[in-house]
Amino acid sequence: MFHWLEQKPFFFAVVLFLTIAFAGIIEVIPDFAKQSQPTVGTKPYTTLELAGRHVYIKDSCNACHSQLIRPFKSETDRYGMYSLSGEYAYDRPFLWGSKRTGPDLMRVGNYRTTDWHENHMMNPASVVPGTVMPAYPHMFTNIADIETAYAEAYTVKAVFGVPYDAEGMPKLGTLEEAQADAMAQAKLIAADMKNQSVKDAVANGQVPEIVALIAYLNSLK
Amino acid sequence: MQSNAQLEYDYSIVKAFTFTTILFGIIGMLVGVILAFQLAFPELSNLAGEYGTFGRLRPLHTNGVAFGFTLSGIFATWYYVGQRVLKMSLNESKFLMTVAKLHFALYFITILLAVVTLILGITTSKEYAELEWPLDLLVVVWWVLWGVAMFGMIGMRRERTIYVSIWYFMSSFLAVAMLYLFNNMEVPTALVSGYGSVMHSVSMYAGTNDALVQWWYGHNAVAFVFTTPIIGMIYYFLPKESGQNVFSYKLSVLAFWGLMFVYLWAGGHHLIYSTVPDWMQTMGSVMSVVLILPSWGSAINMLLTMKGEWQQLQTSPLIKFMILASTFYMLSTIEGPIQAIKSVNAIAHFTDWIPGHVHDGVLGWVGFMTMAALFHMAPRIFKREIYSKSLMETQFWIQTVAIVLYFTSMWIAGITQGMMWRAYDEYGSLLYSFIDTVTVLQPYYTIRAVGGLLYLVGFFMFAYNIYKTATSGRVLDKEPVNASPMAS
Amino acid sequence: MDQETLLTIQGYGKFFVILFVFIVFYSYAYSIYKRQRTGERDFEKYSNLVHDDSFDSTPLEKRDNSIDKND
Repeated sequence: MFHWLEQKPFFFAVVLFLTIAFAGIIEVIPDFAKQSQPTVGTKPYTTLELAGRHVYIKDSCNACHSQLIRPFKSETDRYGMYSLSGEYAYDRPFLWGSKRTGPDLMRVGNYRTTDWHENHMMNPASVVPGTVMPAYPHMFTNIADIETAYAEAYTVKAVFGVPYDAEGMPKLGTLEEAQADAMAQAKLIAADMKNQSVKDAVANGQVPEIVALIAYLNSLK
Repeated sequence: MQSNAQLEYDYSIVKAFTFTTILFGIIGMLVGVILAFQLAFPELSNLAGEYGTFGRLRPLHTNGVAFGFTLSGIFATWYYVGQRVLKMSLNESKFLMTVAKLHFALYFITILLAVVTLILGITTSKEYAELEWPLDLLVVVWWVLWGVAMFGMIGMRRERTIYVSIWYFMSSFLAVAMLYLFNNMEVPTALVSGYGSVMHSVSMYAGTNDALVQWWYGHNAVAFVFTTPIIGMIYYFLPKESGQNVFSYKLSVLAFWGLMFVYLWAGGHHLIYSTVPDWMQTMGSVMSVVLILPSWGSAINMLLTMKGEWQQLQTSPLIKFMILASTFYMLSTIEGPIQAIKSVNAIAHFTDWIPGHVHDGVLGWVGFMTMAALFHMAPRIFKREIYSKSLMETQFWIQTVAIVLYFTSMWIAGITQGMMWRAYDEYGSLLYSFIDTVTVLQPYYTIRAVGGLLYLVGFFMFAYNIYKTATSGRVLDKEPVNASPMAS
Repeated sequence: MDQETLLTIQGYGKFFVILFVFIVFYSYAYSIYKRQRTGERDFEKYSNLVHDDSFDSTPLEKRDNSIDKND
């Protein structure tokens, strides 16, 4: 029976594929249903937070910062309660990262403020001497893409049944409503900031990337 | 001999992919060196505004070396080794020739587009799968074209038995096809909602599930891009260059199936102490350790191939490259399982030991083997003698020192930082703030950057040597059988 | 079907499939060595596929369907 394997390329390829695919079928599929249950109190991101998450992804913050607190005392002392699967139920994609060149950010909203982030993103070394993090002044001038954030929220609601507009959950509504809500949230954040050009932009109805990013970081708890 | 006398192997596609191997190798490694220097000297981080930050460049580095440099090398060697051991020529089939040309053209366009989009920050954030959906579709097209060329060539072969190298290339094609498709399942948001950027998509999986699929992919992309095709290369090029038979062909067959079965299970080791189910983490750990067996089976088989001919190691720099490559393969396949042991992983995960591990694999194993393969092919595809043996010799030593500097500094950096993160004082509070564990790494980051720079210098020497071979090497009147001819 | 049953099935499934693959793998290993010893098939000669690979050299084993069937 093994002659086939050695000399029939088609049969060989099929056996090879089954051998390779087998681990995935057993390993990945059966746990899917269980892992996607949200924990109580976990909510989807608002439009502005989602736009901030896109900024986080655009600049690959996840290349240096994890969002996964392992169940060790040294980690829970430093970053807070260890991560639970259900807390990630609305994270598409997941942003656990694989390298901590900088600290974990899973619960950064608990111990950093808008003001801290503003100074830090403009010039990290002024807040944390000795840091290797780049400065991100361009986030103060680039405008966040609220429309794409809305498109994503709309898509996950329509395709994956993410409970926007449900009771006790963030409101989404139409694009205009979502933009208005995002503006309202952005104004609250801008009020805590010092940078005049950011304040001016928000007053003119635009959301600089830094405002969206801070909204996202503050939501990480 | 029944075949047409003027027919011979067609190397035009091989040459094209050789060119891209070098081009993308330079881009990918140059970006890597820049990143390494940025960590050592953070002032360098903002020289190019938002386009020069670590976050923007890092995906460019990983994609550049994995899908630019390595894949080009794989395709170049496939079209070379494939034709030769199957005893068929692309010239015999207009169809396959067109497919192969289209494969190259689309591949080249995709990688160029990838460079542009990644610099602009258009990314899905999933490691080694950063490309957004329109590019993913392009990737699928040329991957399928490669498959058509592969099975077409196998179908046309004159040799009944398929040599083991071809098995490895086939496994690479099949596995990456499956992994890539499933990990890149995403919904383009503009198509569903009618709003926002056309380039944007959202992952089909959420949170922990997304992580599971991603590392099932991520680990095995390493397996089937950085491991199996490279083993395929060494099973051809080492016996060919040295004139020796494979130590045990039977062992190579068994190691193949062992590797195929075990490799896929080991992905869970990227998620130890995370929120994926415990049994899967344990399975990842255990299978990673089992993985030593088939990996070392191949590596030892390669080393023993040189049995009785070890003096070639002294006389031929090409053999040096290949033997050191299999040695580094042994090193990284023992290092990986060690890191996958739960208690070691608790310290090693998230630290610089991980990039250290990746780089002794890719610089030592993938890089050396790919360059050796290109060196071996050069006299055959250009029909000229290799331009300079002494340059090759110098390159070998520079790059070997580079790799040693790289992985030793990263080992120390990783373990130091891992230990500092978990250090407590006598009152039970954390001894170091996070920034303390960063500043302490500065000397190691500097050594690593120097190591990376040396490797890049060696790569430029390689590129120059190949360029001079192609343009001004002494013309050969007859194809060399085993050892590649080189001018001193 | 609840989560527990699913996990149980998964566990048994995994065990038996691994056992199956294990048996197939070792019988393949055994068959290779047996065929080599009895001379039914010489595996080591395939190393020559590498050495003798110029376009006009004679194939080690020609493709021929009548041989395939008997082999």
